[in-house]
Amino acid sequence: MGAAILGNMTAFTVGWLYPDLMNIYGDRGNILTLLRRAEWRGFEPRLVELGRGASEQMADVDVFFFGGGQDREQALVYNDLLEYKREPLEKAVKEGAQVLAVCGGYQLLGHYYQTAGGQKFDGIGLIDVTTEAGSKRCIGDVVVQTSLEGLSPDTLVGFENHSGRTFLGKGVQPLGKVLMGKGNNGSDKTEGCVQGGVIGTYLHGSLLPKNPHLADYLIERALTRRGVAGLSPLDDSVELAAHGWILQRAQRQ
Amino acid sequence: MGVRKTAAVWAGKATGTLSRITKRGGGTTLPGDIARAIDPRILTRLTQDLTYGSIVVTGTNGKTTTARLISWLLEGAGHRVVANRAGANLIFGVTTAALNRAGTDGRLRADWGVFEIDEASLPKAVDEIRPRTTLVMNLFRDQLDRYGELETIAKKIEKALTTQPEYANAILNADDPRVAEIGLNLQRKPTWYGLDDVSVATTTLPHAADARTCPRCGSSLQFSAVYVGHDGVYKCPNGDFARPNPDLTATNIELNGFDGLATTIEGNRVEIPLGGLYNVYNVLAAYAAARAAGLEPEYIAQRLRTFKAAFGRQERVEFRGRHLILVLSKNPAGFNETVRTAVELAHGKNFIIGLNDRKADGTDVSWIWDVDFEMLKDKAQVVIPAGVRANDLAVRLKYAGVEAEKPQPEPGQALDLLIKNTKEGDAAYVLCTYTAMLDIRGELVRRGWAQPYWET
Ligand SMILES: [Zn+2]
Repeated sequence: MGAAILGNMTAFTVGWLYPDLMNIYGDRGNILTLLRRAEWRGFEPRLVELGRGASEQMADVDVFFFGGGQDREQALVYNDLLEYKREPLEKAVKEGAQVLAVCGGYQLLGHYYQTAGGQKFDGIGLIDVTTEAGSKRCIGDVVVQTSLEGLSPDTLVGFENHSGRTFLGKGVQPLGKVLMGKGNNGSDKTEGCVQGGVIGTYLHGSLLPKNPHLADYLIERALTRRGVAGLSPLDDSVELAAHGWILQRAQRQ
Repeated sequence: MGVRKTAAVWAGKATGTLSRITKRGGGTTLPGDIARAIDPRILTRLTQDLTYGSIVVTGTNGKTTTARLISWLLEGAGHRVVANRAGANLIFGVTTAALNRAGTDGRLRADWGVFEIDEASLPKAVDEIRPRTTLVMNLFRDQLDRYGELETIAKKIEKALTTQPEYANAILNADDPRVAEIGLNLQRKPTWYGLDDVSVATTTLPHAADARTCPRCGSSLQFSAVYVGHDGVYKCPNGDFARPNPDLTATNIELNGFDGLATTIEGNRVEIPLGGLYNVYNVLAAYAAARAAGLEPEYIAQRLRTFKAAFGRQERVEFRGRHLILVLSKNPAGFNETVRTAVELAHGKNFIIGLNDRKADGTDVSWIWDVDFEMLKDKAQVVIPAGVRANDLAVRLKYAGVEAEKPQPEPGQALDLLIKNTKEGDAAYVLCTYTAMLDIRGELVRRGWAQPYWET
């Protein structure tokens, strides 16, 4: 954790796992939101792109982002994840780094993904979830009432597009309750999961731009270990207008 | 001549008239639905009447402009052309277009069919139309909620091309890695086209690039030139895949905003009043199709000088001395090019950026984060987020560092704000997704500034 403090400026580092391959649903929006919101508060924003192969820089990361990919790309990262990313990621999370994994990334962090033919692909088991292939794709707006502590508003909005059905084990809490949309599996009304510093979810859209409170939750928790206590407030009227618009439309339906 | 075909043609034509009278969307697909219900093979039967056959154009971006260019070239050479226009490029729209041109005896009297077909509908179109030429322009991510993933689409297109009859030929964009892989797998060599002018290229892939990896071994491709999105000159470091050598190239490219472009193809200077590097691809693709149809290089070059763009593609609307330029922008790769052309080449200052999330636009709007709206920063003066999802655009622009106006979901209010901020004699740009453009255009028509589209 060598160069965390530069002069008087605390660095804030986002680690983007496989930006070239796992970047299908506008994931750059999540990255930009984390970086800008840290920058607007006077932290020095840094982005580390974690492509295929080993990377020393994983130890410096405050928030990891792991997005979704197309089937072909997901297959390309699979072995790399097990070989090069698993251990450093586990270590970073133990030391207080935060992880946001969306869609394909969420599935790969669980215990396994089981295909329709019954074949199991092991994930890295960072979170206590399992995923099975479903027959129908879940596509559309999602509104979630979240149980994350201190989040105001207590809703999260996004868009889902997945055929996997994810089931939560005992070691995780759901990220929230589905008010609209399908969520984890379309049957138990849960969406996403939280396990320590790791959040998994099916919401994209992008997720963080329209949910600035969730972005701040991640930034604040990651920077706590750098001795930062609390984030100064920002003017979020533009972001919350987009958030509110989805809520309003959901109520009309 | 089957009685069934004639009945299907009659029923379809009656529906078309009714629909135009009641002004329901210009009657672009309903007649096709009706006729296909009576005779499911009606499109095959009608296109068999064509003197020379059909040219089918597919790909994520540019198919409307390219199909229109091909029609323009054929018509200028005295051919009777039946084409699907007004963006109704599903199989029903094609059937309707053929019906509209059929006589009361049920016969289609035309020499060529020129049809733009959605990537996902290509197998059905090839099966029913049996095209003489199939043109595949590019494959970008577009509406994942509707079309499925890039790889699935590419496989479908490849399968469709392998089922083509002996006489058919394929014209493919060599610069697009995913399209190239389709062509390299075909038994008969296709005609390849590509750009060849590094002065208009960059060397880094934009965020909107999708086909970054080798389709054979999965390594990251190396690009020595990037023209549009992931289209450029590439090779795999493992040596198992590289851009095919183009048979036709566009060289010495000159770009002049949205006003026009010039390039050299087969030694002839081609000039056209269409702007943007992406239109060089469209012009080159149309040129290749026209050559395959037997047209001469000198004629093609001369005819292209007087081309007019399709509605909302690069349309100009004059209002009280202001020049509105309407440019359809429907996915990351397309939006990047229209923004780049407007900002860097046309030095545009005032913008409406419009985003809808209806079915025809794609219901998932997350792709706006892959558009480099950062190009507007410090260059644009007035940027108005518009459309159903104006609020999402406002957030995107904020994080791009662009100072935008308040979101204006009402097209009339967006236009008023744009006009208010644009001085007489100045240009303003309207960049919108498909139905957002229809909404803006509808408002322009209501105000008498533009013509309804089926009359242009
Ligand atoms: Zn390779």
